[in-house]
Amino acid sequence: MRWLKENSLTLAFMIMFFLALGGQALSGMLQYNDRQLAEGAEPVSFLQYVTSSSFAVDVAENWQSEYLQFFLFIMLTVWLVQKGSPESKEVDEAGAESDEKQRIGPYAGPDSPPWAKVGGLRLWLFSNSLGMVMGVVFVLSWLAQSVAGQAAYNSERLGDLRDPVDWWSYVTSPEFWNRTLQNWQSELLAVLSMVALAIYLRQRGSPESKPVGAPHSATGVEG
Amino acid sequence: MRTLFILVPVIALAATGCAPDTAAPAQAAERFHAAVSAHREEAACAMLTRKTAENLPNPGQTCAEALREVKLGPGGRVTAVSVWGEDAQVRLAGDTLFLHEFSDGWRVKAAGCEPVPDLPYKCEVED
Repeated sequence: MRWLKENSLTLAFMIMFFLALGGQALSGMLQYNDRQLAEGAEPVSFLQYVTSSSFAVDVAENWQSEYLQFFLFIMLTVWLVQKGSPESKEVDEAGAESDEKQRIGPYAGPDSPPWAKVGGLRLWLFSNSLGMVMGVVFVLSWLAQSVAGQAAYNSERLGDLRDPVDWWSYVTSPEFWNRTLQNWQSELLAVLSMVALAIYLRQRGSPESKPVGAPHSATGVEG
Repeated sequence: MRTLFILVPVIALAATGCAPDTAAPAQAAERFHAAVSAHREEAACAMLTRKTAENLPNPGQTCAEALREVKLGPGGRVTAVSVWGEDAQVRLAGDTLFLHEFSDGWRVKAAGCEPVPDLPYKCEVED
């Protein structure tokens, strides 16, 4: 029970993720088959649908934007600040900060992760690992979106008696950028809302909010 | 890392769509043109998609009669095949065809097609 409590946040999001992904797959298959029948084609099975380019592009286009959102949030908050926001550092703390504050090298404690105690490449990698993984997953998701998107787009074009396009033509097409930007704008708006609204609004008990009684001017304080 | 393990198969699955079997639709296109050239219009009609075979004839006409009227030119050898998912385009020396894959194999969706800039092909036979 203690283990469940200690990991409840991760577990809750993981369960919700799989339920939402399953729901997307099921509703996507039903919608796809509805279109197939209208076009005189045969319906596909659940397995055929979840391995199709149509499902892959729908999944990948959302993943890339989420990972871009967190990559930007992680990286930009190193240097950019917002006075009064619990999502920001104090205004005069912008930057990578001192080794002492970051508890690395000679300032590492006995309980610090091993790579925080060493120098060189391992320390650099560990110091940037969160941003790098988010960035790499963003690039891979975006690449997956482009490959699956080209396949789905070309299948649709052939069905409409049009020539298929090559990968470069696809990634410079309005179809690709419309799929991409409609996701980016919503993610950027969500981060903007979080950073700005948290200056003046509170959620009692949430670490994403300042304590209810904290002044609006307090920056980098989490409740 | 879990996400990376999920993403790799996603990319791999997406990429498998880029290296499909091109022989089957090419053979279906050649068989269709061979039947038309041999004046076996009924056999050629049996190779069309159901929607195309239904839409081709005018009222009171059979599919075979309609296909005979269209007078498709000779197909010739296969010059290019493009397959994306369940759809394919087969270019022959004398024609361009569009096909769709069904559980019983590839069927001709459109034939006798000429390109129109920035618009769908204009086809003598289409759904």
